[in-house]
Amino acid sequence: MDVTLGIDVGTDQHEPRRVVEVFERFATANGVSDVVVQRFCLALDEILTNVISYGFEGIRGEPRVRVDFGLGDDLLVIRIEDNGSSFNPLADAPLPDFTLPVDERPIGGLGIHLAKNLVHDISYRREKNRNCLTLTQPL
Amino acid sequence: MKVTASQSGDAVIAAVSGRVDSVNATSFEQELSKAMEGGSSRLVVDCGELSYISSAGLRILLLAFKKTRAQGGGVALCQVQDHVREVLEVSGFTRIMTVRDTVEQAIESF
Repeated sequence: MDVTLGIDVGTDQHEPRRVVEVFERFATANGVSDVVVQRFCLALDEILTNVISYGFEGIRGEPRVRVDFGLGDDLLVIRIEDNGSSFNPLADAPLPDFTLPVDERPIGGLGIHLAKNLVHDISYRREKNRNCLTLTQPL
Repeated sequence: MKVTASQSGDAVIAAVSGRVDSVNATSFEQELSKAMEGGSSRLVVDCGELSYISSAGLRILLLAFKKTRAQGGGVALCQVQDHVREVLEVSGFTRIMTVRDTVEQAIESF
């Protein structure tokens, strides 16, 4: 990666917005297209909001969330790590059912669906008691 | 985020500006409820100045949609920017909610 930036993230509910703003400045300053910036902002927001809201329920010890951005000539990578409870959003999050009539649609559950569909590739690994999500986008 | 409400016939037009995310989704919900206090069940959400919406904001739109539909009305969106439109499409909202180019067209859609 030619350019990198890492940030430690707190568990305050305002943190996703702060991290998104940092990412937006980082990506825009380094010439990433507006479309990709907007998609990644949303994916980052949804994933972090999820981690902060639910990832540390009933977990002892200091919560740690870390986000690293990396940008090369032809690749944008965001890595999100947390030491919360084991959760693979790619496998464990329920898929929204678009065939349901409006009145039966659940309110919510869309965040992870949006992240998965707006980013080229997302992969998950559980390593050393941490959830590691990697978002990649060819540029 | 700011919501400016006005009335056109029996429809309420709520012009939303800025960003709607998990931090201010509750305020967004309160602003929409306030705009609908007069008893109208037809809500036009003017998204011309809406730069960003996350699932927390979509949740509020869906709530408003269910509420107004139950009263015989509905929600119509208009002037949606490209990025927000993509989010609406991916989340399946464009299949259930009316989306029009202009405020006038949105009002006429009811």
